[in-house]
Amino acid sequence: MKARYLIFIVLLFAIRPVLAQDVKFTASASKTTVGTGEQFEVSFSLNGNGGQFDPPDFGNFQILSGPNMSTSMESINGNTTVSSSYGFILMPIKEGEYTIAPASVVVNGRRLSTNPIKIKVVKGRPVPQGNQAQSGPDNSIAEGNTADLSKSIFIKAITDKNSVYQGQQLVLTFRLYTKVDIEQSQVDNVPDLNGFWNEDIKLPQQTQWRVESYKGARYNVADIKKNILFPEHAGNITIDPMKMTFILRVQAPSRDVFDQFFGTYKEVKYKVSSTPLVVHVRPLPDAGKPAGFTGAVGNFSVQSSVDKTELKANEALNYKVKVSGSGNIKLLKTLNTGFPADFEKYDPKITDSVDENENGVSGTRIYNYLLIPRHQGDFDIGPLKFSYFNPATGRYTTLNGKGFHIKVAKGLSESNVTAFSADKRDVKMLEKDIRYIKTSDAGLSKAGDQFFGSFGYYLILLIGPVVCYGAYAYRNRLRKYNSDVVMVKSKRAGKVAAKHLANAQKQLLANNTKAFYEDISKGLYGYLSDKLNIQYAHLDRETIVSALQARPVGQLLTQQLLDTLDLCEMARYAPVTHISEKEVFEKAKGIINDIENEI
Amino acid sequence: MRFKRSLKILLLFGWFLLPLFCFGDSQAGERFLQANALYGKGQYSAAAKEYKKLMDDGYASAALYFNAGNASYKNGDIASAILYYEKARKLSPGDDDINFNLKYANLKTVDKVDAAPEFFLTRWWKGLILSLSLKTLSMLSIILVLAGSAALILYFFAEAVNIKKAAFYLAVALYICGLCAVFIAGSQSGYFADHRQAIVFTSTVNVKSGPAERASTLFVLHDGTKVDILDDNNGWVKIRLANGNEGWIQQPDIKEM
Repeated sequence: MKARYLIFIVLLFAIRPVLAQDVKFTASASKTTVGTGEQFEVSFSLNGNGGQFDPPDFGNFQILSGPNMSTSMESINGNTTVSSSYGFILMPIKEGEYTIAPASVVVNGRRLSTNPIKIKVVKGRPVPQGNQAQSGPDNSIAEGNTADLSKSIFIKAITDKNSVYQGQQLVLTFRLYTKVDIEQSQVDNVPDLNGFWNEDIKLPQQTQWRVESYKGARYNVADIKKNILFPEHAGNITIDPMKMTFILRVQAPSRDVFDQFFGTYKEVKYKVSSTPLVVHVRPLPDAGKPAGFTGAVGNFSVQSSVDKTELKANEALNYKVKVSGSGNIKLLKTLNTGFPADFEKYDPKITDSVDENENGVSGTRIYNYLLIPRHQGDFDIGPLKFSYFNPATGRYTTLNGKGFHIKVAKGLSESNVTAFSADKRDVKMLEKDIRYIKTSDAGLSKAGDQFFGSFGYYLILLIGPVVCYGAYAYRNRLRKYNSDVVMVKSKRAGKVAAKHLANAQKQLLANNTKAFYEDISKGLYGYLSDKLNIQYAHLDRETIVSALQARPVGQLLTQQLLDTLDLCEMARYAPVTHISEKEVFEKAKGIINDIENEI
Repeated sequence: MRFKRSLKILLLFGWFLLPLFCFGDSQAGERFLQANALYGKGQYSAAAKEYKKLMDDGYASAALYFNAGNASYKNGDIASAILYYEKARKLSPGDDDINFNLKYANLKTVDKVDAAPEFFLTRWWKGLILSLSLKTLSMLSIILVLAGSAALILYFFAEAVNIKKAAFYLAVALYICGLCAVFIAGSQSGYFADHRQAIVFTSTVNVKSGPAERASTLFVLHDGTKVDILDDNNGWVKIRLANGNEGWIQQPDIKEM
């Protein structure tokens, strides 16, 4: 009995190590460095039975599947081991370094935590949008052994040149080398070829296999993908790996003779990715860069032509430029055409006939410019200047096309006018025609002799002021004379006497005595008639005396006048001796003057 | 006596001199009428030729330029038409017909140049000095000054105080008006002398940034556009458009007014 208890106790103790066995809860990741968009698996494994699994928060990762719980129980020699694991398939969203927080589980009433895992996320392919449903792996296909197959099947990225100029074309080939049979293939990731402008080279639908030896081994070789690349910027540009998944047929280790005889194969799923490739891109040299260089790299030739050199205004003119050669022909920018500024020009119609093959891109590009001269005249289309960089020589080359001389005749004026009035719609049309010519009032004069400012003009202009000045001076003088009364009077009297005695003076000079006295008498009577305002016929001694006496005339003067009149009367009939004719004349003159002065 | 005689001489001088400026000789007048008749019959190019001949013989008048402009216009030579109209306008700035046809011909030019707006005082001043032709203004000034002189003489010799007073103020007013007319005429003459203008005659002209062929092209002008001439240099002319744009073109591309 005692022994039974002892055994029981021993057995109890024997169980103890099993129960006391260290329960471990660990976290592991399939990769610690992943690219964005790449999947990886994080698993939390527990070598024991646990419950209340508490997964961490995978904040920066997208959970593609999980938790996938698996439990396995092993019993070896009665020693039963239970292990369970919780797997998650994750995909990082953003680059950076992240830590996956510990997960916890309760085992035997104790809470166990895992160690945190650091995951470095690098740039990878873009995150696929949407929920990526992971197609369930075909369980019948075992994952291939990487070490075994890497020598048997691989993809190489090959470029024909490793160092190119910016814009220089290079051919990139992804080549598959294999020694094993491929059942099925699937492209997982096609490199983006960022930093390049690329042209696909069309490969035949049926993969062309050939045998090639590489590193001493013979492989079946096929080109999977061919591209012509044009580096867009200088520097080192990395070509991302190409990733493919193959299902391969590999020989399985035989288990029995029967299998050995027939050979057993198993299908293996194997992922292949090419090594990244770096292309060194050199910038185009600055030295000798022509002014009109727009980035053409390669080897080109240029031809320009026009369909006519003589046309009317508003007719269309076609200007064709043919650029042929090899290089980035599809990347050619606008040409440096020397069109006259006055031509209406439209964007060119571009026709490409480009051939992409293993030697690169070559072909022709035709620019068809439509030009419409709107005005008559002689115009020159300047020679086309086309500059390109020749990577073979490392120099720039400038080609000169032909220049053209275009004669534009006058177009239909009607269309001319409508064409332009359309541009000037905001100007109001006033009337339908110009006004008629001026038919009268020619007013022709010799051009050049402008009246205004000429000598004649100023002369005429000066007439007025000069005359005014003259008049002013004349008036002043007149005033001065008028102010001297005696002088004026005597002067006037002299004038009056001279007027009345003018005939007498004539007779005196002619020595005609009889007529002289008659004229003296007539002159005196005339004067008195005027002066005394008595009609000539009424004049006689009495009226004269009474009129003179009515005026302030001296008695002596009156007597003198009467004496003279008597003398003249007498001289008509008898010769006068006691006084000369001259004295009589002077006397008569004196009398008139005196009367003038007194009245 | 002496003053009267000098006055007479001056008047006689004026009598003979004035008509010289007013009337051309009759032969040219006849040719002008003939050209008008050709125009009337619709033979515009022949009429234009006749007008041109008259101009080449040294004759000028607003009517001649206007008619020549009309004939050129009818021939489709807008640039010449504008040049003639502008010349006619210079001789007779206030003429409605000339201004109308000039405006109309300008509608047919290619370039539309919007004139920069002028300060209103400048506009008024220009309107004033360009309202009458130079000939009219100079005649007017002479007449006003002569009338003023007559009024002044009346003032000198008039006896009645009323007449004297009226004559004095009239004389002052007439003299001021006369001097104004002289001043305006002088301003107009100066305006045209300072404003050298030209018409583009080549159907398409590249206006360059400098007086050289290799200078870059600033803009393109077409025939009929009026430009102000600012400078001459070696066969190149610096021009300015009404909108203020400046550039250089070659002398043969334009015809100065």
